[in-house]
Amino acid sequence: MTKRILPVLAGLALVAALAVALSSPPDVLQGDFVRILYIHVANAWLAFLAFGVTAAASIGWLVRKKPGYDRVAASSAEIGVLFTAVTLFTGMIWGKPIWGTFWDWGDARMASTALMFFVYLGYLALRRATPDRQARARRSAILGVIAVVQVPLVYFSVTLWRTLHQGLTIRPDSVQMEPAMLVALLVNVGAFSLLYLALLTARVRLARLEEAAEAHERAPAGRAVTAPRLETGQ
Amino acid sequence: MSSFWRQALQVAKRDLLVEGRAGEGVGIVLPFGALAVFVVPLATSGSASLLADLAAPVYWLVTLLFGMQLALRQTATETVPQRRLLVLLGLDPVARFVGRTLSAWVLLIGLQLVLIPLVVLFYEPEPVPTPALMLPALALYALGLAMLGTLAGDLTVGLRTRTALAPMLAAPLAVPLVMGASQSLISISRGEGILTWTLLLVATDLALSVAGVVTARPLEETAT
Repeated sequence: MTKRILPVLAGLALVAALAVALSSPPDVLQGDFVRILYIHVANAWLAFLAFGVTAAASIGWLVRKKPGYDRVAASSAEIGVLFTAVTLFTGMIWGKPIWGTFWDWGDARMASTALMFFVYLGYLALRRATPDRQARARRSAILGVIAVVQVPLVYFSVTLWRTLHQGLTIRPDSVQMEPAMLVALLVNVGAFSLLYLALLTARVRLARLEEAAEAHERAPAGRAVTAPRLETGQ
Repeated sequence: MSSFWRQALQVAKRDLLVEGRAGEGVGIVLPFGALAVFVVPLATSGSASLLADLAAPVYWLVTLLFGMQLALRQTATETVPQRRLLVLLGLDPVARFVGRTLSAWVLLIGLQLVLIPLVVLFYEPEPVPTPALMLPALALYALGLAMLGTLAGDLTVGLRTRTALAPMLAAPLAVPLVMGASQSLISISRGEGILTWTLLLVATDLALSVAGVVTARPLEETAT
């Protein structure tokens, strides 16, 4: 049931989010470029969530050793990498007209986000490089727990280092944003959260099928003792 | 001396003995790193001011990349039977991590010390007013790299793609170390304090040591 409902819901929510983002007022300084930020910020938050889920599932695997945790950890990391890539890309296309540059090497948030991206690319590379399922789960679970340190570093980089990137706009005690813009941002965050859930459930299901296919391919005997197929037509 | 430290020192001593016999670090990685320092100026216009500006970045880059090669050298990689034997002998996995880190640290310090005169000779950077102030930063930088190399090496042990994969895992996590060490040098050159950058190095080393201690046992299971 969720197999069909979640993607449909996510699709509808994304359409609604796009409509809200396009109909929200332009920013006094940034003009229409502010609309890029609704996608940029939503993707960044979802990337944090995805890597947090990877870490939690990794701890779950290390404690319980159940394959389901490994599937969730790996699937969430893949989606997190995708969201981080979108975050970096949208940040760059927003940065050119607003800051005058695609990339600023002195900016702590940009540099730390790129590093987080590479750390999780390494996580995925480690998984691909480890053929044994048990070893793959253990190694990636350890890295998944270590790598999550990047998330708070990226999040707080704007307060730890005062560089080009703006500080935290939404804090527990105050929100420095126009209500209409805040609504557009929250609708986008909600829509992308649904997209994350839809992608996660689909990827976990795919991982389960991949494992079943892998187990089938490795099944001993049976097919190995079938009669030889003789070439015909020669 | 406690059993733990005796074990750790034994592991470090064994690693350094193997390195002394095989000479992979001193005979191959170190000359290769020196060659990299030598090749960079050939790829530039040869301008003296450009080379002086490049001196520190080249130094940090070469120590990072070749330091990883040192920490991950093939002769220090234990095979699965060797790892199983160590487990059966009752070697504490944390002592093993500490020992491996210590041996890599000694070699990394050696790499750093050899590269300094080469960079000074070939790039002629602006002299640093009080170079002795850099010693703690260099030691902390090497310690962090040694721990990262040991962790990445253990995570990728037995994999065919280890040579490329382990540095890929370690390099992004080494950025706070590179930042701490390189900014210390810049601050010393400007006559400013280096407390903030030293604290960054100490904090990173502490985080890595906690990661090493916590993951030592699960990593031991991985390799056996």
